[in-house]
Amino acid sequence: MADQPLLRLTNISRHYGAIQALKNATFEIGRGEVMGLVGENGAGKSTMVKIIGGFDTGYSGEYFYDGEIRRFGGPTAAEHAGIAIAQQELSLIPTMSVAENIFLAGDGVPRIASKGHLARKAGPFLDEVGLGHINPLRTTNRLSVGEQHLVEVARLIAHNPQVLILDEPTAALGETDSIRILEMVKRLKERGKSVIYVSHRMDEIFKICDRITVLRDGESQSPRAAADMDVNSLVELMLGFELGDMYPRRTPIARAEPVLKVRDLWPDGILEPVSFDLYPGEILGLAGQLGSGTSEILGAMAGATKSRGGKLHYRGEEFLPTRPKDAIRRGIAYCSEDRKRDGLFLGRPIMENMSAPALETISRNGILNGARERASTAKNAVKFTIDPKRLPQEAGVLSGGNQQKVALGKWLSISPGVILVNEPTRGVDVGARAEIYQILRGLADQGEAIVVASTDIQEITNLPDRIISFYRGVQIGELHLADMTSASILEQITDPFHEAGIAVSEKAL
Amino acid sequence: MSDTAAVSPSAPNLIQRIRRDYSPLVIVMVSLFLTVLLAGAVFTDDFLTWFNVKTIIRDAALVGIMAIGLTFVTLSGNFFLLSMKEIAALSIICFATLMGAEWNQWGPADGDPATSALVATFLIAFLVTMVIASIAGAVQGALIGLGGNPIVVTLGAAGLFFGIGSWWSDNLVVSYRRPHGAEWLGTGSFIGDIPNITVAFILIAIVAELVLRYTTFGRQVYLVGANRAAGRATGHENFGMAIKCCIIASVCAAFVAVAFSGQVSSAHVNYFSSEFGSSGDMTIMVIAIVMVGGNSIMGGYGSTLRTSLGAIFISTVDNMMVLNGFNSGARVLAVGLMIVFSIIVFALVRRGSRAVE
Repeated sequence: MADQPLLRLTNISRHYGAIQALKNATFEIGRGEVMGLVGENGAGKSTMVKIIGGFDTGYSGEYFYDGEIRRFGGPTAAEHAGIAIAQQELSLIPTMSVAENIFLAGDGVPRIASKGHLARKAGPFLDEVGLGHINPLRTTNRLSVGEQHLVEVARLIAHNPQVLILDEPTAALGETDSIRILEMVKRLKERGKSVIYVSHRMDEIFKICDRITVLRDGESQSPRAAADMDVNSLVELMLGFELGDMYPRRTPIARAEPVLKVRDLWPDGILEPVSFDLYPGEILGLAGQLGSGTSEILGAMAGATKSRGGKLHYRGEEFLPTRPKDAIRRGIAYCSEDRKRDGLFLGRPIMENMSAPALETISRNGILNGARERASTAKNAVKFTIDPKRLPQEAGVLSGGNQQKVALGKWLSISPGVILVNEPTRGVDVGARAEIYQILRGLADQGEAIVVASTDIQEITNLPDRIISFYRGVQIGELHLADMTSASILEQITDPFHEAGIAVSEKAL
Repeated sequence: MSDTAAVSPSAPNLIQRIRRDYSPLVIVMVSLFLTVLLAGAVFTDDFLTWFNVKTIIRDAALVGIMAIGLTFVTLSGNFFLLSMKEIAALSIICFATLMGAEWNQWGPADGDPATSALVATFLIAFLVTMVIASIAGAVQGALIGLGGNPIVVTLGAAGLFFGIGSWWSDNLVVSYRRPHGAEWLGTGSFIGDIPNITVAFILIAIVAELVLRYTTFGRQVYLVGANRAAGRATGHENFGMAIKCCIIASVCAAFVAVAFSGQVSSAHVNYFSSEFGSSGDMTIMVIAIVMVGGNSIMGGYGSTLRTSLGAIFISTVDNMMVLNGFNSGARVLAVGLMIVFSIIVFALVRRGSRAVE
């Protein structure tokens, strides 16, 4: 199949002003092949995807599709030719039914069609993406985010594309929905479709891709068979140097006196009150899928989410924060899962972001002390490996990984005793991810107590010292370092009551 | 690490920076505007005289002070107070009523009043007006801070304040006798021939800019405006912010009302609806200035310095058109065009700066 690739781009270059996003990059995919496209943030993946899908027409280079030179004028032209993109952002109309969304473009259906007719036609496409159990007449916004992503893919499949591009399809999904996506990719491949799979998640890449194309700083490496590579060699290709161990080494911790005691905390969205202790120097992991309640627990501890009751015992005080300010004042820092929503001031300089939680420490009588602000933010920036020279730049110009470092790093300004982090590395490239793990471990070693909630099974297995698992708003169990394997965690967070009857070993594959 | 490489190593000069950061369209539009302005300045008689420059700034002063106050609301992400002119109307009625009240007369009506009596009268009326304006601002701010839509809240408040002012004054002109303390603020001048109101405008502009740049309050205004959710997450709630900013805007409106009343020794609820600026409507003029200054409607970006320059800019164009004999309709049109123009340029500029990903 590699002799006559279905799609082949050669010598692709693309400039955005002074920035060269792609330098003579090459990309190809054969029929019935799953090609992984990987690279750090800013390596040019999105640009490549946009060019393939016809969104970006300002490139130079050759674009061969089905043996002919093509140059699509826009995404619609590419779609008619059989190239479809599932974007990271959903483009469904939330108030319309699933079936209506699938046939939104109106191709292949009569001009006037009853809802039942649409629903019958939508059935096979829903089966295709593993949503056969869903009623096509349901309103789209009543589905989970993961299911909505699958509906989006079903809509693309309805156009019978030859090449399907999935841009980080699982970034916002929990484990079950991710598995559905992967299974769907396998089915498409069996039917002879080509899939370009863009992802940060190494495990997925190796599970489903035939070959992998690595982009680094806008240059492409020639595609390699996935079977000939392992995670380490792939990461090395992406970074251009050896990373070593991504996750810092863990050593058993002496747990004497808890620094923070959570008692009967009952956030909205949780079925019963939770209680646990947090010890200095440890990273506690809250494991659970999307909707398991881990985000709500962290939010409630920080005063960002409403809770029905409960108390935190911390530094001799007993309280329940009702707004973030209450927690911040006592030295509890909270970094939510969505940095763009409430973690960063994108339009403001990085320096202002870094000092935002602790304005009183850099001011006297309400007057800001510029020198003190520069000194303290530079110090914290260095700890989070952010170049202090970039402090005056807007936070919005940073890459995802650096943005996450700013969103986390700003909390050093309040000298926190407890740091709560939800999804510490969502949408973050491998290099920055390893850095964030090192920094979190470093903070724990200095005696801070850290709570991490994550739906990334690799991360939750390898980063924390101890895990409390949650399933649909219920606290399931606690795992200590010795028992923390992906399989044992997966069992607790996906099917603790053995309702589905799937062997864990199957899921962990 | 890949994005550090994107920053070019040698510092580009000004022209390169402009060409890199702004799209050609923006550069063309801004140059066109500057050219028109320069041409107008050269070809309009009596435009470049000291007297005319003073006139321009004095005309900019009253609307400018109000716009500076409103800028705080806009920067903090709370949109606009659509009740600016009604706050001013209530304030001017309050002020004039107190100035003319019987208990507040300065003694025998035939004799000349003592300076101390003038000052005392003025201060009492001034302070009470400010307190009432602050309450008006705080109420609106609290409602907005609790989650009320700024447009709905301030439109409702506008009706309320106008109604109170109109009822209180029986919809009549409230006048008081000269000489009185407010003259000094309205028409006096203590630095050469520069009107005091111009001095007040410049001082307020400087103080506002310093507050925004160098105080924690100013920083909070920007942070909450840039991202309200992130502001809350870092301990800066919009509730207090909205109240403070609305009080600032209302106090500025009341100050303008007092100064204007001092010029005409009277008050009427319609003064700010019919007799003001080129477009007649004070609220629209003030919002126009904030917009033309290039402040982000969404908040978090801009400054009171921009607002002050916006006020002077609009006043300049207006002045030029008056000197060239345009009627008020044409001048309203010009203000409208400037708003649209500034919004477009602003949107393009922001998009340009975001492209440095």
